[in-house]
Amino acid sequence: MMSGLSDARRNLRERSEKHLRLAVLSELGRDQPSTVEPYKAKGGRLWSTLFVPVYRRVPWAAKEKAMGALGMTASGWKAPERKPGEPWRPPADMADRVQHGTPPARDDSAS
Amino acid sequence: MERVVVIGGGGAGTAAATITKRLNPDLKVSVFTEFSDIAYSPCGIPFVHGREIPSFDDLFLSTVERYREDGLDMRMETVVTDIDLDRRTITTKNQPEGFDQLILCTGFFWEQPDVPGVNLDGIHYVKDIRKSMEFDQQLDAMKRIVVVGAGPVGVEMAGGLAHRGLQVDLVDEGPWVLHEILDPDVAKPVHDSLEARGVTLHLGTKVEAFEGGKDGHVNAVVTSDGTLECDAVVTGLHKVPNTALAEAAGLKLGTTGAVKVDDHMRTSAPGVWAAGDVVEIPHGLNMIPIVGLTGAHAYAQGRVAAVNITGGDLAYDPVWVPWGMVAGDYTIGGFSMGENLAKSIGIPYVLAKGVGITKARYYPGAQKTFVKLLAEPDTLRLIGGVIHGGEGVKERCDFLAFAAKRGATLYDLAYMENIYSPPIGALFEPIQIAAQNALAEQRQNKLAVA
Repeated sequence: MMSGLSDARRNLRERSEKHLRLAVLSELGRDQPSTVEPYKAKGGRLWSTLFVPVYRRVPWAAKEKAMGALGMTASGWKAPERKPGEPWRPPADMADRVQHGTPPARDDSAS
Repeated sequence: MERVVVIGGGGAGTAAATITKRLNPDLKVSVFTEFSDIAYSPCGIPFVHGREIPSFDDLFLSTVERYREDGLDMRMETVVTDIDLDRRTITTKNQPEGFDQLILCTGFFWEQPDVPGVNLDGIHYVKDIRKSMEFDQQLDAMKRIVVVGAGPVGVEMAGGLAHRGLQVDLVDEGPWVLHEILDPDVAKPVHDSLEARGVTLHLGTKVEAFEGGKDGHVNAVVTSDGTLECDAVVTGLHKVPNTALAEAAGLKLGTTGAVKVDDHMRTSAPGVWAAGDVVEIPHGLNMIPIVGLTGAHAYAQGRVAAVNITGGDLAYDPVWVPWGMVAGDYTIGGFSMGENLAKSIGIPYVLAKGVGITKARYYPGAQKTFVKLLAEPDTLRLIGGVIHGGEGVKERCDFLAFAAKRGATLYDLAYMENIYSPPIGALFEPIQIAAQNALAEQRQNKLAVA
């Protein structure tokens, strides 16, 4: 069973994504050939008039922190190693992993 | 003998089962699938309907017998109805079966339109190859099809059915086709290509109901812009993770509604793993979990689960999502995100745009390729992009996703090495051109943050 908190997180994500996306679709598509206005269902006025403008004013770094605090980002995963200007190096234990490596792919799977 | 049970026979399930068995032949590996077939490519179905691939037989890669010869215990057409994590059993045909390790690869189902008439006959979902074979035979007697949803499958089906000579109406609420992944500056060539095949686009249009005759078969689609008569409907909305079993067993789900796993494909329960469309995976840029990835992702996740089950220590990386497809006859692709998604989330970026050619300019068949890269404003680190037109879109998107994952910047790409060979590559690589253009703008202080 989903907990109340999980439900709330999922709901928040669904609704916020929907309205942020709708606003951007209208803006980006406005001057582009061959596009039309997206269909806009009734309702969601509070999201489009309050949430979207407020969200946009918040700097990205603060949004990232807020998403982390609200549990909207993944746990149990390593953040990607991405330091510009430095060459990528394999993890220290890569040799062990290779020893227990996977067999080559065979052409026998569904795709 | 220790037993590994795999639920699901798609890309993730078959990879997990076959690789587990190969890594440790002493394990008993059982695969349970509700379908009668295994190891076929559902991604090829639209192209058989479109008569671009001659036969559904071409989509099969292997047989159930072959898997049995490899030592797998194949349980075809067997629905798993329950998982009991305390007793370490699954239930099929009202009988419990024990497991030591469980791999959930239950995949997805297609989102159903939430409108009256959705249960009428003749509303087709592209998934099960047997149903697609039946549908293909029915198509021979049909003239007009409405495709609901201009996502990747909807666009492939619309283009394919039009190629077959059917009259096709493509309906979507969005302002351009593929609007969830594609930026609007690519809309025109994609729309032109679909329309050249004979597809009629109904964008910004909502489906309000399906209507049927006395025989219970759909014969019209009511939309916010009028009624479209049809002989059948094809739906291509969102993939919904098939989590019913996982949820009932008490496994943790994430913010997308899919099963939560860590980077080893472990779920929240010990000895229970999951892979493929039933799980959510974090995006490499921001660690926000996403769903709806490809068969290639599913296979790789199944492989990771298999290695770890058999005692290995293999992590699956957060994803940078290279994607590509042919819309009508026009090739499009990208990785990570385009402007559309970056703006929605609120990630600041600068743009690097360039137009190159796919072969030497004097070589017959050279085509323009358009590259748009998104980079972080301060570091110029690559965060996303869209590429379209001509050959090599797939390879460029694969390369760029990998480059972004390793932290490449526009500086790196501006001075990348490239192949110059007239039949396959021009003197200047289109990616390099885009990056060079951005650096030139930066020198002139014209590189604006979006």
